[in-house]
Amino acid sequence: MDAPQNTTTTSFDALYRDSARDLYAYVRTLLGDDASAEDVTALAFERAYRRRSSFDDRRGSQRGWLFGIARNAALDELRRRGRAAPLIGELPDELAPAPEEEADLAVRRTTVRVALAALPARDRELVALKFHGGLSNAELAAVLGTSETNAGTRVHRAVAKLRKACHAPA
Amino acid sequence: MRQRDPLTLEEARELDALERALAGEPVDADLHELEALVDDIRATAPQMSPGFAARLEHEVEEGFPASQEQPARRPSRRWVLIPAAGTLAAVLVALVVVLGQSGSDDSAPGIANTLQERGAEDSAQTSGRASKPASPSAATESAPSGGGASATADPARAPALSAAPPPRTPAPPVTKSGQPRRVQRTADLVLRVPTAKLESTADGVNSTADRFGGIVAASTVNVDDSTGGEASFDLRIPTQRLDDALAALSKLGHVAERRQGLVDITGSFESAQDRLSDARAERRGLLRALGRASTKAQIDSLRARLRTVRSQIARLNGDLEALRRRADLSSVSVVVRGGATNDDGDSGSGGDWTPGDAARDALRVLEVIAGVALIALAVMAPLALLAAVVALAVRAQRRRRREGALDPA
Repeated sequence: MDAPQNTTTTSFDALYRDSARDLYAYVRTLLGDDASAEDVTALAFERAYRRRSSFDDRRGSQRGWLFGIARNAALDELRRRGRAAPLIGELPDELAPAPEEEADLAVRRTTVRVALAALPARDRELVALKFHGGLSNAELAAVLGTSETNAGTRVHRAVAKLRKACHAPA
Repeated sequence: MRQRDPLTLEEARELDALERALAGEPVDADLHELEALVDDIRATAPQMSPGFAARLEHEVEEGFPASQEQPARRPSRRWVLIPAAGTLAAVLVALVVVLGQSGSDDSAPGIANTLQERGAEDSAQTSGRASKPASPSAATESAPSGGGASATADPARAPALSAAPPPRTPAPPVTKSGQPRRVQRTADLVLRVPTAKLESTADGVNSTADRFGGIVAASTVNVDDSTGGEASFDLRIPTQRLDDALAALSKLGHVAERRQGLVDITGSFESAQDRLSDARAERRGLLRALGRASTKAQIDSLRARLRTVRSQIARLNGDLEALRRRADLSSVSVVVRGGATNDDGDSGSGGDWTPGDAARDALRVLEVIAGVALIALAVMAPLALLAAVVALAVRAQRRRRREGALDPA
């Protein structure tokens, strides 16, 4: 009886090591503040830990399952505080360019940060899931509850908006 | 909002390039911008603070001991209660239906039968208390005034009736003149027996009639393996032994049907008696007149009238005797039907519970269980479907609300 439990625990530990930073980055991008992001990230891992025995690999990857849990927790948090509107246009604290970056690089990355922060919440979430989470389109589809093709289309549209925003005159 | 427009070829190429850039693979020269975008976004990814990272690491290692939410709470399964409640309701309904049917099969005719018999009995007892009959002989079996009464055994009651004695004849009431009432009793009996036992049962009917001093007025026996065969008997049984005879006949097979009738013939009997008395008085008067007659014409006339009165007396005596015989001997019609089973599946062995009966009872129980299960399924299936639809709707609604958090206010 202990063997499966140990296997599950080991598997959860590996999942944590593999995805903790990516998950936090996704949640932080979605919520826009550190405190909420930390709470939601911790809550997501805790829920995943409690429900780890219910994970069914026939329904998707473990990483996609974890991001799905985190997404639900993050959306619940957004609902609690009253929609995502205040987040649009908010710039996270780390938007200030790092002093060691090259000037051009710093300008470019600042532009990207601002453009990403200015995206609608849905697009910003897609970019975060794709770039920070590293989810495949199939995993994205499972998390968003849509088809893989639709997930790919939505990612492309979001990235196109981001690129356009990056090229827009300041 | 979902965008369902398919990607163009160029867009598909860009998406493919994005996937390769994310995977660290080279992309086409005109799409190097995507590589830079991936680098920039990843480079600017929010990072966990060291304090939170350490705290989370500790939580994971400890298995989240200080839980923020209730530990290991199973997802709500209250919707499962809907089909369960449906099943329970269906079983209750089925039980009510089954019990109701068995009640209507067994109880209702029994009550009706009892009421019929009790009505006759009460009437007889009331009359009996008012004026005790001197000698309720067989020839003076009585019935309540006003005609006949009947007791009918329904086939559904047959198993019980085959073991129980037939209803007893009520105590004879009397007429206003104190004479016992004259009744003619009839009985119809339908027995079911296995075809193989048809002839032996027919013999049993004959011997039973002999045993109780009765006669077989008519009988036919027709044995047919395909239809089971049938034997019918028209018996005359002394009325005083009718009840015992019916009980003995009922033991010969499975009683599928039994009727008993009472016809009050007191009026006819007394009328015949009165007419006979009048005729005898007239004869006595004619004889006296004949003794006083002096002319041949008077003598011839009186003798002619005497002949007429004598024949009238003889006819009335015959009528009276026939009425007495109707009261003395009850008419019993017995039909014995051969066959494998009766309506209830009983073999008609006359009350012995055999392994065959047990098998049939078991089959019947299984049929009832299957019926209950079918009704339960009929009730549960729509409820389960409804529950599934509601669950899907709730799930979709919850998802929609969550997704709504991403929409601008």
